[in-house]
Amino acid sequence: MTGPATLTVNGEARPLTPGLTLHALLRDLNVNPSRVAVGVNDDVYPGARAPHRTLEAGDVIEIVRVIGGG
Amino acid sequence: MKQHPHTPDPLTLGGKTFTSRLMTGTGKFTDFGVMREALAASGSQIVTVAIRRVELRAPGHDGLLDALNWDALQLLPNTAGCRTADEALRVARLARVATGVNWIKLEVIPDARYLLPDPVGTLRAAEALAADGFTVLPYVQADAVLARALEDAGCAAVMPLASPIGSGRGLRSPELLRTVLDGARVPTIVDAGLGVPSDAAQALELGADAVLVNTAIAEARDPVGMAHAFALGVQAGRAAFLAGRMPERAQASPSSPTSGVVRLPDPEVPV
Repeated sequence: MTGPATLTVNGEARPLTPGLTLHALLRDLNVNPSRVAVGVNDDVYPGARAPHRTLEAGDVIEIVRVIGGG
Repeated sequence: MKQHPHTPDPLTLGGKTFTSRLMTGTGKFTDFGVMREALAASGSQIVTVAIRRVELRAPGHDGLLDALNWDALQLLPNTAGCRTADEALRVARLARVATGVNWIKLEVIPDARYLLPDPVGTLRAAEALAADGFTVLPYVQADAVLARALEDAGCAAVMPLASPIGSGRGLRSPELLRTVLDGARVPTIVDAGLGVPSDAAQALELGADAVLVNTAIAEARDPVGMAHAFALGVQAGRAAFLAGRMPERAQASPSSPTSGVVRLPDPEVPV
C-alpha cells in the first residue's frame, strides 16, 4: 500500500495534485518567478521560464535566489 | 620631483580584464545602502553572492541583484553551504540559471567548525564544472599539488585561504602560499581570513594576484572606510611586489657608510 503522492519542495514534503506542472507550482506557492532558479531533480530552469512540465511523485524541487554572501 | 609613471597592471581572469585586484563579498552588511557605498569605495569589479532557498512561507527576493549595477561588475556566485561535490554541482547549475553568469566560486566544505575545504570533492566538482563550461574559481587550502591539479582541470584561478573564513586572523601560512605561487599558471586569489589591509598587502607583496574580502569590510565599525583602506592595501602590496622586495638578512646591515665615522677618544674602547 502506498501513501499519498508527494513532492519535496525546498526540503519539505508537499502533496502532489495530479497533473500539477512546475509553472503552476510556482504560481501556487506565490513565488515571483523573476530572479529565482528552479531545480527539478537534475534539471535546472530560470524561474521566469519554468516549463509546463508535469511533476511526478518523488520529484525533488529546489527554488533558490541570490542573496548576500562571500 | 619626478612622478613614478603609472603602469597599467591589469588582472586577466577568465578571459576578462580587471584593473582592481580587490574582490568583495556581499554578506553580513547591515543594509544595501552601506553595501553599495562600501563596494564603490573598494573599487572592486568582481563581487560575490550566495544562493539560498526561497522562503516559501514569505516568498519574494531580497533585491540584492537589483541593488547593484551588474553592467559594471562581474557577478561571482558561490557554492557556500555545500558539503559535497554533488551539492556544489547542483548549486552551481542553479546559480547559472538564476544569474545568467557562468562564473562560480566553488566551495565544498564539509567541516562546520573551521570551514575547511574538502580538496578531493573540490577537485572532482571543478573537473565537472569546467567540462560543463563554467569559469571555475575553487576555494582551497594553500596546497601546491592541489593547485596544479585544479589548473589541469581547467580552473580559471585558485583561491587559497589565508585563515578560516570570517576569522580575521590574516595570512597564517605564507610559506605554503609561496609554494602555490611558485609556478602558478592561473591567477592566485587569497580568499578568507584577511582582517586588515596590511593582511591584503602582505598577500599581494608575496605575489598573490588578488584577494577576496567580505567580513573584514562588512564587520568594520565603518565599512565604507575599511573598503577604501583595503583598496589602498591591495594597491600598496601589488606595487611592492612589482618593485621587488629587499633580501632578508639574519643580522643588521648599516644604512649609513661605515667609513669616516666621527669618534671621540675613549680609553675603554680599543681603536
